[in-house]
Amino acid sequence: MSDDRPEHPDSGSLPEKLSSPRPSSSASGPGDTRGSDVSSSSHTNSSSGTDLYTSGHGDGQRHSDHPAQPAAHPPHAPLSERDAAIAERKVASLFLLAVIGVISFIVTFFAQEQEFGAPGNAYFTPLLGVFMAMALGGVGAGTVLWAKLLMVDDEAVQERHPFGSAPDERAATAKALRQGLADTGLPRRKLLRNTLLLGAGSLALLPLPFVGFLGRFQHKERVLATTSWVEGVRLIRQNGTPVKLGDLQIGGVESVFPDVFHGTIAADSPALLIRMRPEELKLEGEQQDWAYKGHVVYSSICTHLGCPVKLYEQQTHNLLCPCHQSVFDASTGATVIFGPAARALPQLAISVDDEGYFIAQGDFSEPIGPSYWERGT
Amino acid sequence: MSRLEKAPATTAGWVDERLGAAGYVRKSLNKVFPDHWSFMLGEIALYSFIILLLTGTYLSFFYTPSLTEVVYDGGYIPLKGVTMSQAYESTLYISFDVRGGLIMRQIHHWAALLFIAAIVVHLMRVFFTGAFRKPRELNWLIGVLLLVLGLLEGFAGYSLPDDLLSGTGARIFHGIILSVPVIGSWATFLIYGGEYPGTEFLDRLYALHIFVIPLAILGLITFHMLMIWYQKHTQFAGPGRTENNVVGSRLYPAYAAKAGGFFFLVFAVMAALGGLAQINPIWLYGPYNASQVTAGSQPDWYIGFLDGSLRLMPNWELSGLGYTVPFNVLLPTVIMPGLMFTVMMVYPWLEARFTRDRDYHNLLDRPRDVPVRTAIGAMSLAFYIILVIAGGNDVIASVFGVNVNSMTIAGRIALIVVPPLVYVITKRWCLALQHSDQELLHHGIESGTIRRLPSGEFVEETVPLPLVYQLGLTGVEAEALDHSAPPPLGPGYEKAAVEPAPDKDGFFSPRRNGSKNGSKNGSAERPEATLPELEATSKTNRPS
Amino acid sequence: MKKTKLSGYAVVLLSLSIVGTLYTAVAAPSSAVEEPAATKPAPTKEELVQEGRDLYLSGCSTCHGLDLAGGSGGPTLIGVGASSVIFQVESGRMPLAAGVQQAPRKDVRYTLEEIDALAEYIQGQGGGPTVPAGDLDDGDLQLGGALFRTNCASCHNFAGSGGALTYGKYAPELESASARVIYTAMQSGPESMPRYGDNQLSVEEKKAITRYVTYITQAEDVGGASLGRYGPLTEGLVIWVVGIAVLIMMTLWIGARS
Repeated sequence: MSDDRPEHPDSGSLPEKLSSPRPSSSASGPGDTRGSDVSSSSHTNSSSGTDLYTSGHGDGQRHSDHPAQPAAHPPHAPLSERDAAIAERKVASLFLLAVIGVISFIVTFFAQEQEFGAPGNAYFTPLLGVFMAMALGGVGAGTVLWAKLLMVDDEAVQERHPFGSAPDERAATAKALRQGLADTGLPRRKLLRNTLLLGAGSLALLPLPFVGFLGRFQHKERVLATTSWVEGVRLIRQNGTPVKLGDLQIGGVESVFPDVFHGTIAADSPALLIRMRPEELKLEGEQQDWAYKGHVVYSSICTHLGCPVKLYEQQTHNLLCPCHQSVFDASTGATVIFGPAARALPQLAISVDDEGYFIAQGDFSEPIGPSYWERGT
Repeated sequence: MSRLEKAPATTAGWVDERLGAAGYVRKSLNKVFPDHWSFMLGEIALYSFIILLLTGTYLSFFYTPSLTEVVYDGGYIPLKGVTMSQAYESTLYISFDVRGGLIMRQIHHWAALLFIAAIVVHLMRVFFTGAFRKPRELNWLIGVLLLVLGLLEGFAGYSLPDDLLSGTGARIFHGIILSVPVIGSWATFLIYGGEYPGTEFLDRLYALHIFVIPLAILGLITFHMLMIWYQKHTQFAGPGRTENNVVGSRLYPAYAAKAGGFFFLVFAVMAALGGLAQINPIWLYGPYNASQVTAGSQPDWYIGFLDGSLRLMPNWELSGLGYTVPFNVLLPTVIMPGLMFTVMMVYPWLEARFTRDRDYHNLLDRPRDVPVRTAIGAMSLAFYIILVIAGGNDVIASVFGVNVNSMTIAGRIALIVVPPLVYVITKRWCLALQHSDQELLHHGIESGTIRRLPSGEFVEETVPLPLVYQLGLTGVEAEALDHSAPPPLGPGYEKAAVEPAPDKDGFFSPRRNGSKNGSKNGSAERPEATLPELEATSKTNRPS
Repeated sequence: MKKTKLSGYAVVLLSLSIVGTLYTAVAAPSSAVEEPAATKPAPTKEELVQEGRDLYLSGCSTCHGLDLAGGSGGPTLIGVGASSVIFQVESGRMPLAAGVQQAPRKDVRYTLEEIDALAEYIQGQGGGPTVPAGDLDDGDLQLGGALFRTNCASCHNFAGSGGALTYGKYAPELESASARVIYTAMQSGPESMPRYGDNQLSVEEKKAITRYVTYITQAEDVGGASLGRYGPLTEGLVIWVVGIAVLIMMTLWIGARS
């Protein structure tokens, strides 16, 4: 079996079965002229290969993809018959490992308990992973080892082809392009050119209505600026029960929602009811009237990026946002004392109805949540 | 001859009768790829993408992208009877009721993390070795686009299960879009179909996640590979390696076997991780609810740098004339990454402009030989790593008992101080390494033999470095050596660099057009350089 | 050759990491449930109070004062109730080591009987919330989960792994807290933690939360090693430290010419 590489002194000692299986001419079918070209060219040196390729490609560019003489690294040292047999066994055992992996995988897949809470269910996925890794890794490692130990892998040198085309080639192509453009008559016919630009340009407007329909913009400003809180609505918990004065102890905190349809799932309405000693609350101006006997309610939607601010420290009255660590002081109107948030959490004005339940005096006085262009100052 | 031995040729014959592809196929089989471990990093990304397609297809058979509320009645006991979205319910179904569904989910998620990690490592290799230079600028651009698409794809996937973490992520994303001046609120209403959270976000994200973005990634990967194929891979300098050749393994059979085997190895590592390390346990997070949140809310690692920049940003907000510009969001999550990726994309052209280097480059730089580029890379990396660490500062603070506020402040200072420091240190380090290389080249290896000169002075004899290593150190192209002869030592080396023989078509080098563009220092034009000259060229060759 | 050596290291490291991962995966699901102590004849209430008083005077009065009114460094204990005593002592926070911003968990210094005695004594001095009799973690698991996500997860993390608060304070992890400690923490609102009175979270609801916390912190991880249940951060660490590292070692092995 001949090769397209030059012989190196030791290659003769390679066992026949280990040398790379290259197509030989005898393998081609009868009457298969191009097929025999394949094999014969693989025996000869680069020149016929290059010609064959160039003619097939027809782009006029001449390539020089041909393997040349080996370079500085000494060629793959051939293994002795004994070492090759050992190597073959190593590779074979890896392939067999893959078989074991696949069988174990299938057995585990059907036999192992998977149902949550059943004994041993926590081993289901880990076992599947181990056996899958065994199967895939056996094939992968075996193949790599095979390539490293048993395949002929001499260092080869290949010339690069030039990146740019020859100047005459370029000129000819440019000329063809110009000629083609001239043939369309576009450069001469101004009316055609202008209307084409206009027509094609107007096509860009065609998808706009479709894009616009992706969103419903009705009342956008109002929707952004308001929440579900309205005057007189009770403050309820996640489970729908209203919060009564006295439910919270000092140092207590409760997630509250407006008692309206979908109030507990509306994304803009969650708020935080906090109770502290009345003397600890240091609110100013009208905000004092928005609190009730040491109870104060803030929007729990962070003014930075909208995460729920619910980490309340009852001793320091710090409110921490778990997403980007903005810190608000609940005792001074949830003003920012650290972090990237720029504005205080909006405060909800509350009072207590006749039955002793907390109610809202109205909606928040400003848009809740992250800032946006038209939110106002 | 056995049937197996005949098979390749008969098959090829059959195909060739119909397509006439024999010449092309043979040429392709013989295509030479340079051998270096770092050239396989991109393969990891490619393979993890294939794993993502395989596992993702399976997951899509069970997942429902819907926010419609249902009551859970599946296998996970602690959530039985809890109201949740169909998206979350179907993800729980995959995890607990589909046999082997959990391992598919976990392999998918691990492979997603690996995909982007591998892209980043590959990008670092390409950057620090200068592989992006002419003629490969376009492929670099595609690579950066792939990274950006990977981030988007990852974010979309992270948001699909509609668990507590992904819902929090979707809400932050909403706030980021909202922060864009003028169009912010319009854009969020477009994306979410109305007020947040709306009912359509997940359907749209799903279409993007399983169709649009993967298709774009696939297309770009194809283009990426075609360009590598056509332009041939770069290689490190070394004996026999020049700007005009590729030294390495033929594609067929050994290289293909190694690459194919490596795919299975990558898949095996993903399977092992997918089975042995729990990832994104959505059943612990619980269903998303706008009023709930968990401590340590984190994005996946690849979005961590954006979370970190948000955390480190001071609370600047500008408002006036009835309008508000939230710089505390806009700057770290829109302007900063926009700038970052733009600079990355145009970097090859920037460098070419500043170094006035318009030559073709097929030989890679050693990082130390290009101190400025290496320093820029290290500086950017330091910047990025600080942001990633800041993105996890609450969990780090909680695990190691550190003050999270101090970490934020330290991060702000580090972000300004550390990158320039890293720049200076890296540059000096590179120069020091170069210096020690030159030392070795000029003085050779100490032989241990002490000789006494006639003057009475003692000197140690040095042996010149074998040429094989000299060529590696100079980073200069040198024509093929006759490896069968012992490496030339001592005074014999002048003959080492020989005139390259013209190939069949009479080409010496790929620079037929390049020389016109003024390759002032093109070493290819001096094929007969002796070693001292080679050294001189190598110095001029280094943009600093 | 250098490369051969490198690939050798790679193989060793690879196998080590695989063994390590296997070990953690297999060894992780081991639950430590304490057996209840052998029953002794229960002491009378008077005996308990007397024992509690003795323990208080020898162990606590230096800081909290002989008359419980507080003193050097310790707050008053009048009216804090049995609940607070059980939380502080059974979690090992009291007696307190000097000079800490937040009382850390330590080894428990008193036996359960002694803690009951102390609690009984303090309860007698001004009253306060007490722990209901019976099992504290027999509540409704699903209700507990919902309440946990609303009230607790924001500080203690989705799986009770703990989290950072402002300026060095922290919400501790809940795995090492007993059912009684979890329950009494909600009742008494220690340090930074908000207080959840019975009007806010009923006894049943608190029991449900306790049940969920003990369940979830003991629950096996069905997907392999838990990675600490800290969320995506540790996952990102693993993909770099294990995933990328192992794969790069593989490329070294594949790329090395033998």
